Amino acid sequence: MKQLLRKVFLADLIEGLRVTFRHQHPKQIVTEQYPFERPKIGERYRGAPRLNINPENGETLCICCDLCALACPEHLIVVGWERNPETKKKQLVTFTYDISRCMFCGLCEDACPVDALELTQDFEMASYTREGAILDRQTLENGLLPARYRY
Amino acid sequence: MADTFLDSTELVLNMGPQHPSTHGVLRVILKLDGERVLGTECVIGYLHRGVEKIAENRTWQMFAPYVDRMDYVAAVSNGLGYCLAVEKLLGVEAPPRAQAVRVILTELNRIASHLLWLGTHALDIGAITPLFYCMREREWILNIYEKYCGARLTTHAFRIGGLQYETYEGFEKDCLEFCDLFEKRIDEYEELLTGNRIWKQRLTGVGVLTADDCKEYGVTGPMLRAAGVKWDIRKAQPYSGYEKYDFEIPTRANGDTYDRYMVRMQEMRQSARIVRQAVGAIPPGPIMAKVGKVIKPPAGEAYVSIEAPKGELGYYVVSDGSTQPYRVRIRPPSFVNLQALDKMCRGALVADVVAIIGTTDIVLGEVDR
Amino acid sequence: MAATPWESELTRALKEEFGDQILEFSSYLGQNFLVAKPDAAIPILESLKENHDFDYLVDVTAVHWPEKPEPFEIVYIVYSFARNERIRMKIRIAEGWKPRTAAAVHLTANWLEREVYDMFGIEFEGHPDMRRILLPEEWATFPLRKENSILKMDQHWVQENLGIESGQ
Repeated sequence: MKQLLRKVFLADLIEGLRVTFRHQHPKQIVTEQYPFERPKIGERYRGAPRLNINPENGETLCICCDLCALACPEHLIVVGWERNPETKKKQLVTFTYDISRCMFCGLCEDACPVDALELTQDFEMASYTREGAILDRQTLENGLLPARYRY
Repeated sequence: MADTFLDSTELVLNMGPQHPSTHGVLRVILKLDGERVLGTECVIGYLHRGVEKIAENRTWQMFAPYVDRMDYVAAVSNGLGYCLAVEKLLGVEAPPRAQAVRVILTELNRIASHLLWLGTHALDIGAITPLFYCMREREWILNIYEKYCGARLTTHAFRIGGLQYETYEGFEKDCLEFCDLFEKRIDEYEELLTGNRIWKQRLTGVGVLTADDCKEYGVTGPMLRAAGVKWDIRKAQPYSGYEKYDFEIPTRANGDTYDRYMVRMQEMRQSARIVRQAVGAIPPGPIMAKVGKVIKPPAGEAYVSIEAPKGELGYYVVSDGSTQPYRVRIRPPSFVNLQALDKMCRGALVADVVAIIGTTDIVLGEVDR
Repeated sequence: MAATPWESELTRALKEEFGDQILEFSSYLGQNFLVAKPDAAIPILESLKENHDFDYLVDVTAVHWPEKPEPFEIVYIVYSFARNERIRMKIRIAEGWKPRTAAAVHLTANWLEREVYDMFGIEFEGHPDMRRILLPEEWATFPLRKENSILKMDQHWVQENLGIESGQ
């Protein structure tokens, strides 16, 4: 009799659905709604590289010591510099960073003595061409432009 | 009688390299008689990247990120093994604080690796639910890694001589919260699987490896312990301060797939226990031993092995006194354990092969290097 | 720091059994190893397994020293569960010399020796299945030999089978 009533009133189904609905609370949702909701990125996240500039005078912090290029396991950093004839100091001319080969190990960042090269929290580095993955000095200083994806 | 009745002949079947249950690009050539496996042959190397050759062309520090890419679900353990090997050559030891943090991260990594194994293994057998649960818990660990060192999977968390990063604020709290939650969750998994009749029927008595077989094939890790050998490098030859922590080596007697499942579940509990102890006692102090900017170990060689989630992970490093390794040989546990696949599969059914590959817990990145 | 002599009950027993077949007992960084004549390698492994409980062959690998008269060094690492001891045995062999396989003593040597063959081109005599294991069968070079630089690989194979100009 009891069994019959359970069947008639779909007791098992309701019990099952209760479990389902209990886990529907927004706090219980684990999946990130990525493009609509920005993911929380760790402060130390090693993402897109950036060349820092001195905020006071807008000059680059890089002293062209070449340590990042030496530390890089993939040899993907090329620092181009020339000696300023007046001050006899090294001057940064070009700086290329090939993120298509980068494995974001952070060794370049560790090697930099003046914190000029930094791996930032930016993680959206997709581009439509291979050449687009090779960052030049300008992109590194200004940061990656928000990519406009064709979707 | 059966084969004469069915008039069956031997059949050669390719499983993989694109098969969802081979966990990567493993190709197994099965020789079948009906549903029975007569013999197997593994074809590996699809993921070969020449890691050992790369090592000879990089400096000692530069090679550290590459080892993370071998066993990519247990990257931290790989890094620990490499750092310990080079530290052995250099004759330095990481300071106590670094050792404690290393233990925490490697044990979390063991949990993460076993969780991924559990999820995929259950999925292969036909239980889909555990995969989502396991991934959810693994996410916690990856978040801790992201906060600690800035990367989630291929972490490059350790450096030769210690650590690069100081623990972040709230590191202890995160780890303890994870342990609290995890110990409840693991009961949940056990509820789903351990007593499950289908699970038991699919696993019990499948892919048996006795203790002698294990030794003969060099099989280590949970597979060896499931066969009843109480051996764990963390206890036998402690490294990185493991002798300070109180934990047990879970063993089982039969050495079949079900026992390996039980051993790994117990191991996760023990790992959580170690994390708890280690988090409570991170000593203050420096995190980096005195090693120069340029690492130049004296000429010589050393073999250092650690208990990776999959078994004994060994590094045989040879230095000729220069800044680059002369030779780095990696003894990968997956590669050696995979060799026993043939022994385990003989006489089994085709459906069991899937279970056996799952229980071997291979990562093809490490098998092929 | 140089290697120091290694003496223990085990070395005495081995010395008694093999005499001048074993060239050296040493210890470096607390890790013990012995250097043996190439012919003696398999008998020593057998003896270690049968008489001294070294029942787990951890690894077989090789190191290439091109400028030495015997350019290849084969390293066997064995472990004993009962004694909790790990030792290494090295043999030095000349180019083209074929060492005997250890697969008859420890089954695990099968794949490990195939890998040594794959990477160094050292053939093991009596091996049940002496083929390449990681690289494709038709690959021309042995990559871990020192004369093969990382930039020099089997371009021919790559172009033929993958249809690409190789990277690097």
